[in-house]
Amino acid sequence: MRGGADRRDWSGLLFVLPFLTAYLIILIYPLLSGMALSFQRVDLFGGGRFVGFDNYARLFADETFVRSVLNTFALALMIVPLLTVIALSLALALNRATRGAAVFRGVFFSSSVLSVTIVTLIWRFVLAPDAGLLGETAQAIGAEPIPFLSHPTWSLWALAITTIWWSVGLPMMLFLAGLQQIPGDVYEAAALDRASRWTTFWRVTLPALRRTLVLVVMLQTAAQLQIFGQAQLLTGGGPGGSTRTMVLFIFESAFARWELGYATAAAEILFLLIVLITLTQYVTTMRASEGEDGR
Amino acid sequence: MRRFFLVAAMLLAGSCSGAGGGGGDRAEIYLQRFFGECGAEYGSATDVSKVEGECGIITAMINKFNASNPDVHVSSNVVAWPGYPQLSAQMAAKDPPDLVTMHTGVISDYAAEGLLEPIEPYLAEAGLAPSALTEASRSAVTIGGKLFGLPFDTHGGLFHVNTKLFAQAGLMKDGKPVLPTSPEEMLAQARQFTERTGKPYLIQSLVGDNAYAARNVYTYLLAQNAVLFPSPRRIRLQTPEAERIVDFFRGITASGVSTRNQDTPAAIGSFMSGEGGIYPTGTWMIGQFEAEANTPGRPLYQSYTVYPYPRLWGQDVSYVSGHAWVVPKRERSPEQRRAIARFFRFIADHNFDWARTGHLPAFQAVVESPAFKALPHRTNIAPVATTGRPLPGGVQRQNAIEGLVGEEVAAAFNGQKSTRQALADAERRVNELLAQTEA
Repeated sequence: MRGGADRRDWSGLLFVLPFLTAYLIILIYPLLSGMALSFQRVDLFGGGRFVGFDNYARLFADETFVRSVLNTFALALMIVPLLTVIALSLALALNRATRGAAVFRGVFFSSSVLSVTIVTLIWRFVLAPDAGLLGETAQAIGAEPIPFLSHPTWSLWALAITTIWWSVGLPMMLFLAGLQQIPGDVYEAAALDRASRWTTFWRVTLPALRRTLVLVVMLQTAAQLQIFGQAQLLTGGGPGGSTRTMVLFIFESAFARWELGYATAAAEILFLLIVLITLTQYVTTMRASEGEDGR
Repeated sequence: MRRFFLVAAMLLAGSCSGAGGGGGDRAEIYLQRFFGECGAEYGSATDVSKVEGECGIITAMINKFNASNPDVHVSSNVVAWPGYPQLSAQMAAKDPPDLVTMHTGVISDYAAEGLLEPIEPYLAEAGLAPSALTEASRSAVTIGGKLFGLPFDTHGGLFHVNTKLFAQAGLMKDGKPVLPTSPEEMLAQARQFTERTGKPYLIQSLVGDNAYAARNVYTYLLAQNAVLFPSPRRIRLQTPEAERIVDFFRGITASGVSTRNQDTPAAIGSFMSGEGGIYPTGTWMIGQFEAEANTPGRPLYQSYTVYPYPRLWGQDVSYVSGHAWVVPKRERSPEQRRAIARFFRFIADHNFDWARTGHLPAFQAVVESPAFKALPHRTNIAPVATTGRPLPGGVQRQNAIEGLVGEEVAAAFNGQKSTRQALADAERRVNELLAQTEA
């Protein structure tokens, strides 16, 4: 009896073995080897030397790294709430079976298919203060152009705006999918109760979208903590390091400065931060939802 | 089924021989370069004399090499400037290209790791004598008595001048622009220029162009005979000489006679549109600006000239670097080695064509040739060949150092950091980096 159950278990494992093998080689092995590298002083071409926690100690004392952490969090805080609200608003506006809505869904999703190079080029043409669209417009009306790419205060906003425009498509689609899962009779009941549109949104739509909302916020937080291409291509981390993100710091340390051990130590810290933040979000929202379900 | 396996095996064998290079009729050479991508414009050009600019000339040169060497095929991979992150990753993966463009200041990093081949055997095969190179270009690629690259040029920063605006500002004399001889004079001329033309005297690319700010600091530190690197693993930037330079550019940026929000494309666009007096950038822009100056109807038409950085302090010296072709170490067939040697010969034979970009030739015979001297503005910039100074060859990570120094001093130029803070931060960051390099 027991032997039969064992055979079934093993045969099941065979089905997932190809995936597990690829997962182990592509994800787990690099993860573990990255952890090992972070305890070494090693350049890109090998020949490492064990240095214990020296790389981590250096990182916490490195003003450039600390600033890159703060920049990354600031960007995530600028992008994730705004992106979520905009994506939800677009989904609500376009959740209807008309030809116009279908066209606009395509239009708003289209930015997502562009590469980061194209996206940053487009936004450079818009944001460049001396020759960009906004700069020219400001000069045409006699105003001073906003130095989006050259002032530390504005440059983070330049990255945030670019990222929101680029990333709004997927969350919008997730919200649309979520909206289409809500049964129509719930809205009919709300209408019979003479609920206003705001009350219907707040009491019916939003609670029904809770899981999608959690998913969007978690995915976007994890994605925006890894923001890289926009910072590298639009501002190069400048001016004065004001837009250097953690991944840009990791890239520069590994490939420009050849400090592979140092870079992987920074990558491990980023990995831990992402895991901690997304787990906290998940546990907090799930507890809140369990509490509400209990009521 | 058997047929399927047979076809698959043949395809695999075919792809393997291609990857190995040199296994078939043609020797395959994988070349990786910067200088930009312009395949849409020059993808099929083979007449090098009819194209302009770094990208156009190098593209046409490679096309011409392929066309005139049917037994060799050079496939090009164009990387975003400067391309070293990609190259490092390729080398770490033990899959480097066969030929790579490299700044001479970076060669020591890769040579120290044993990643580059000395090129003397290729020069011998190509019939090229190292003594044919200029002293500046030969010394720039020589490490421990061996040559680790075929020099392509010597290049440095220059003052590109809009002579029409200079005339409007009353800053032309005997058909030549009046360039400053001291910081005070430069500021006075800048104010006069902006008052009379309503345009900025200086076009600075201070956004995302760390090389620009670093070049200014290096040039004027060398001019003041300051010791920038007391040892190969230590930089010294907290000095009165460095403060003087940064304070000056900070002042000129703040005084409203300079652009302050432009990146490189915007700065190039501004200069070509006649929106400023001087654009301090490198030799590499001469060809493109000269083409604008020769095109009727363009804002720069008959309004362009170029000079070395003026002497503002100390002696007439400027910071220079150079481009070279290096051969990363990897297994190669004899056919591929011969093909690389032939490519070197071709590059040497076309050094004049490359000099049309504005860079100074790497071969002495070309420097002395009437054809080179007849190129526009070359007599103005020729002194750079003798006044140019590179950073000390023993200093590693020169590319990363340029990024760190440039980022900090650009923040000071733009008023986002105090001069002292920027120099202290740059010195600390560079010394931390150098402390991690192996002695």
